[in-house]
Amino acid sequence: MAALTTPAPEPSPGRRTTGPSAVVAIAAALAALVGACAKSPDAGVARPSGDDAAHAQLVPVTAAQVAEVVAAARGKVVLLNVWATWCNPCREEFPYLVRLHRELGGKGFELVLVSADFENQLPKVTEFLAAEGVDFRTYRKLGADSEFIDGLDPRWSGALPATFVYDRSGTLRDFWEGDLSYEGFLERLEPWLNDKAS
Amino acid sequence: MNKVIAVSVLGVAAAAAADVAALSLGDAAPMATVKMKSVDGRELSIAEAAGAKGTLVMFSCNHCPYVKAWEDRIASLGNGAPAQGVGVIVINANDPEAYPDDDYAAMQKRAQEKGFKFPYVVDATSDVARAFGATRTPEVYLFDAAGKLVYKGAIDDNAQDAAKVQHRYLADALEAVSAGREVAVRETKAIGCSIKFRSAR
Repeated sequence: MAALTTPAPEPSPGRRTTGPSAVVAIAAALAALVGACAKSPDAGVARPSGDDAAHAQLVPVTAAQVAEVVAAARGKVVLLNVWATWCNPCREEFPYLVRLHRELGGKGFELVLVSADFENQLPKVTEFLAAEGVDFRTYRKLGADSEFIDGLDPRWSGALPATFVYDRSGTLRDFWEGDLSYEGFLERLEPWLNDKAS
Repeated sequence: MNKVIAVSVLGVAAAAAADVAALSLGDAAPMATVKMKSVDGRELSIAEAAGAKGTLVMFSCNHCPYVKAWEDRIASLGNGAPAQGVGVIVINANDPEAYPDDDYAAMQKRAQEKGFKFPYVVDATSDVARAFGATRTPEVYLFDAAGKLVYKGAIDDNAQDAAKVQHRYLADALEAVSAGREVAVRETKAIGCSIKFRSAR
């Protein structure tokens, strides 16, 4: 698992090690069982229970719907990351994104993950999300690439990963292509996290 | 370039993609005389691959699922272009240390399997891709007879399903260049795999 092999300097040692992601995965599996009882999952494709939780929370979105998600998070700094299971740099930075969610979620920060995987790869997506301990709602790209890309930001070439930072008022403030370290993400987020005015 | 200005106005230290100004429509191919080794062992440059009516330069690789999804179309468009008077060169700029599937031997194998009749070459420093401002695979640059960039972007509008393609961007651009007409849709985008550049020396 990437979280185990990628050395990331821990600003608050001991606060969180690798254990919790396993706990989260178990929690996700439990949630899946509960979910399976509460409502019948879509078409009878058999999946491991961990996948169902993630699958149920993998919401298809157009660029316009992404904008709605960002708008709904008004008051929070939003980091939007477009990734795919086949994209190695995306996979490398993924644990840092989940860590941002764990450390900053509830502190005026929201992480929005959008998978750009092909529709026939969705089982892989849910499997990856479960393995990374993602127990919150994430999204997947819907519709034509070009509309999606330009709808998010015309500066985006379409390369993955692509990351967008919105301030508390929902204004796009930063954008980059390529992966970052955990510290790299913090550095890019700090100006907007510290900006109480926007 | 508007995009670059927008970036600096925001005071954003943008990432790799914006560090190099991407090639604009009307530009000539940069580093066109740099020799690159093709899968058949020949060394050739973009200039040497040029056709009388135009030149198709494509950044590609082996490992990328988007490339694989488009690969049959890449083979058919690339193999058909010379008959339209358009020269073809497909360039792999990925660092094979990051993606072993993208090494030279794997390129030779892929070219044979897919029946590529065009040169599939190694950008051994990734500098050609850098000079183009290429960011992803597959990414297409089509130059006209005068050597000016007239189309850049995607192959078509549906990587995943060839049967559901509505706009054959590259095929249309190739036809236009071949006929000496203006290309109608000159810039498109698609999601792709980030080019894994070799470290700058």
